[in-house]
Amino acid sequence: MFGEVRAVDDLSVAIPEGAIGLVGPNGAGKTTFLRLLLGLVRPTTGTAKVLGHNIAEGVPVRERIGYMPEHDCLIPDMTGVGLVTFMGRVSGLDADTAISRAHDVLQFVGVEEERYRKIAEYSTGMKQKIKLAQAMVHDPQLYIFDEPTTGLDPRGRTEMLDLVRVIANSPGRNVVLSSHLLPDVETICKYIVILDGGHQIAAGELRQLLSGSADRLRIDVRGDREAFAQRLRETGLEAEATPTGVHVARKPGVEGVIFEIAKALGAEVRYMGREIRSLEEFFLELVERNEAAVSV
Amino acid sequence: MSISLPTYTRREMPLLGRRHRLRAIIVTGLRREFKRPAVIVSTLLGVALIVIISTAILLFAGLFLPGQALDLSFFFVPASNQTVLFFITLMASLVGSALIADDLNSMALTLYLSRPITHADYLVAKAAILAPLISLIAVLPLVLTPFVAALLGLFSWTIALQAIGLAVLLGSLFTAFYTSVTLLLSSLTHRKSYAAAGIFAVTFGLTIPAEILSISISNPALLYASPWEDYLAVARAAFGAPGGQIDWPWALVILLAATLVAASLTYLRMKAVEVVAG
Repeated sequence: MFGEVRAVDDLSVAIPEGAIGLVGPNGAGKTTFLRLLLGLVRPTTGTAKVLGHNIAEGVPVRERIGYMPEHDCLIPDMTGVGLVTFMGRVSGLDADTAISRAHDVLQFVGVEEERYRKIAEYSTGMKQKIKLAQAMVHDPQLYIFDEPTTGLDPRGRTEMLDLVRVIANSPGRNVVLSSHLLPDVETICKYIVILDGGHQIAAGELRQLLSGSADRLRIDVRGDREAFAQRLRETGLEAEATPTGVHVARKPGVEGVIFEIAKALGAEVRYMGREIRSLEEFFLELVERNEAAVSV
Repeated sequence: MSISLPTYTRREMPLLGRRHRLRAIIVTGLRREFKRPAVIVSTLLGVALIVIISTAILLFAGLFLPGQALDLSFFFVPASNQTVLFFITLMASLVGSALIADDLNSMALTLYLSRPITHADYLVAKAAILAPLISLIAVLPLVLTPFVAALLGLFSWTIALQAIGLAVLLGSLFTAFYTSVTLLLSSLTHRKSYAAAGIFAVTFGLTIPAEILSISISNPALLYASPWEDYLAVARAAFGAPGGQIDWPWALVILLAATLVAASLTYLRMKAVEVVAG
């Protein structure tokens, strides 16, 4: 709680091992959630444990965490290898291990000869890689990536996501990925926590959350969706037009009715099948529902 | 058929303790400072000038300070040399002003505090970078002077050792004050130039007006506002030198209180900085 503002409230979530996506609109409480995970703030009520350690302990929690911040935070007059080694030593590695690990992780992230240049001379992509390398240097059990693809061109973004994926798939290593770029989260994470207004509005396995009800069909129609849904309703079906398509309750023979209406309206049915939403669709739906509930 | 594959367990990397982590920050910080020409030049110049002036006073005491007794009180003269004040201020502004301000500006504070160290550890490490550099000016020349004096046979070793001990204590007091105040000023801004200007303002903005006003309105109590005058009052009492317009116990209390208050404010300020920003 910050002054009179309750930044994160009623958040009860047990996050399993693996790659977890943390998403939410601006002001949802993602940053506060990350601060809690890092043990930099303490909850006013309730408790939280990270890797079995109470977050109030702070230091033991951070020993096990590698944090890659969103914003530029590197020391510009240090070299890449110098900074990563330094961060290794501040994490508790001895000098020899720190320098050896620094070279290993810099090679892993793809910073080769440039490692001896000053960070001030690095491109945005290289700075992101150094930020990743410093998070990896002490081989933590939990990685927290805060918008890791910010400012990267498409190639750099793909490279960064590949690196994050490799880490997420390493045994015994866990990833919390906070991002506004929902396709990034969708490709990396198996589990997701969605926050809005400081509340958890959804949490669970991504595949389960995105696969909608088996009792409903989603129809992607080229043409007037609202008119299409209206015609379906006139035939006694439960139908709704949304930006993602027309959703209709399954009934025996519903497919035939759909094609007849399409023929009558001159509309093209491009997809008809079980409701499978993209994360973006699911996210927008949840946020709209949450806003509506709050306004009521 | 039975196939058994070897099982591998990942070996966690052993991490050294907090003391080692702080030492890493301190050593790296000092290395960075000693690569800066401005720091090297001001350190060498400061130490050399103060030692030369002190030695000259020592050798030509009869000429410069007629009537000055050659006992412990003599060492108040080099300790009250205003070159000390100037170079301490210069060193604090060159090194100390950037110590936290640069981390705030580059947001490197996030990197530090996302590591297994606390805010207090961070501040202790920063203080440990600045304090040795200030003490090079505040302590070293004042220790060298009685040492040289004893070597030249101008003073007995008993007096010289007493003077060395007092120089270490007085220098440490002034070092602690400047370290604490400098770190506070550095934590208040993202621009090291503002912090550097603040250090000069605290030193000379308090000292010069306090001296002028105390004379013009004949109120020596105003001298308590000047850290330099407080230091001189304590030094005068320690070396047993005559004179002085303010009481040394109050001066000592003011210096210590200012040091503690500045350190506490710096800690609170650092706790208030949002390390992970959204």
